[in-house]
Amino acid sequence: MGIGNTADQWGLLSKILHWLTALLIFIQIPLGFYAESLKLSALKMDIFIWHKSVGMLVFLLLILRLLWRIKSTIPKAPCVSQIQQRLGQLTHGLLYGLMVLLPISGWITSSAANIPIKLFWLIPLPALVRPDDALKSLAAEVHEICVLVLLITLLVHIGAALRHHLLLRDDVLKRMWF
Amino acid sequence: MKLINLIISLCCLLNGTFVSATDWQSNPSKSRLNFAPSYEGMPINGRFTMFSVTYTTDAKDQPTHLSVKVSIASADMDNSEINEAIGAADWFNIIDFPEAQFISDQFVLDASGQFLAQGSLRLKGHNKSVIVPFRWETLPEGQASMVGELTLARNDFFIGDGEWASGEQIGIIVKVWFNVVFSRAESSQ
Repeated sequence: MGIGNTADQWGLLSKILHWLTALLIFIQIPLGFYAESLKLSALKMDIFIWHKSVGMLVFLLLILRLLWRIKSTIPKAPCVSQIQQRLGQLTHGLLYGLMVLLPISGWITSSAANIPIKLFWLIPLPALVRPDDALKSLAAEVHEICVLVLLITLLVHIGAALRHHLLLRDDVLKRMWF
Repeated sequence: MKLINLIISLCCLLNGTFVSATDWQSNPSKSRLNFAPSYEGMPINGRFTMFSVTYTTDAKDQPTHLSVKVSIASADMDNSEINEAIGAADWFNIIDFPEAQFISDQFVLDASGQFLAQGSLRLKGHNKSVIVPFRWETLPEGQASMVGELTLARNDFFIGDGEWASGEQIGIIVKVWFNVVFSRAESSQ
């Protein structure tokens, strides 16, 4: 298996970026819900540092993925109807868009809440906006809506992958596996 | 002529002895009292929006008395959740200790031209001897400004008890800085 993509197969780098992102997102969502459920405490602040750190890691991986996607070949689309192809493109577009919107809205929420961010207790991030309670509420609401849309989109994405693998018995899932 | 000189001398003497002290009162809308604890080593700025400072100077414009009263409930850290949390018993305990007070009657002028007010700070029911450095500048129209900066250790006053006491997340040292504008209140003898 080569590192680059071919017309039939995703390359090693694309696969690593895809599955690493998937793993981080599956850690990230429960972390966010758990942190939000806690009362203000030292534990809550630590869980939020993990949540913000993992979120920014997903964002960094997304930038790498987009750069790699621009630079490399994209395997050809599976033989499905045009509507399904469009649905696939929409789902992928939404996933990419949400992976931008979620970290940015989270970053704005934290800055507007006057809480500085230090990723993994090591890397300080500058505040994106000045402290502002109203903006904090708005950004937090956008963040929450994005999480709901992400959950639905992930269901569609995973459901479609399983449908290809189990019902259509094509290589859509296999070619993203190692 | 001798009599006139004597009268003038007496007047000067009286003037020197009984010349009025000046009381100054802070102007709330023009004054700022800020504080910044640190979170993971990074400052989080906040301010007290309600406080009052009275200051007295003698005939030579030297300070003789400084009194600061701060409404602790007015602490604003630009985050309603944090504002509520710092009022709790672990932090400021504003129900039992709604006000902080600093009083000084001892002043030293240091080599850089700033005054050092040595006094007692009463915060959350605990008294601690504190030195507050400040620069005093008279302004036009009977106004003056007092600008200064100091650091306090929050554990001296048991602010941030329990899980917060170690200072790991929220640092022990809190920066405090102020820019207070005064109006001349009245003259007294």
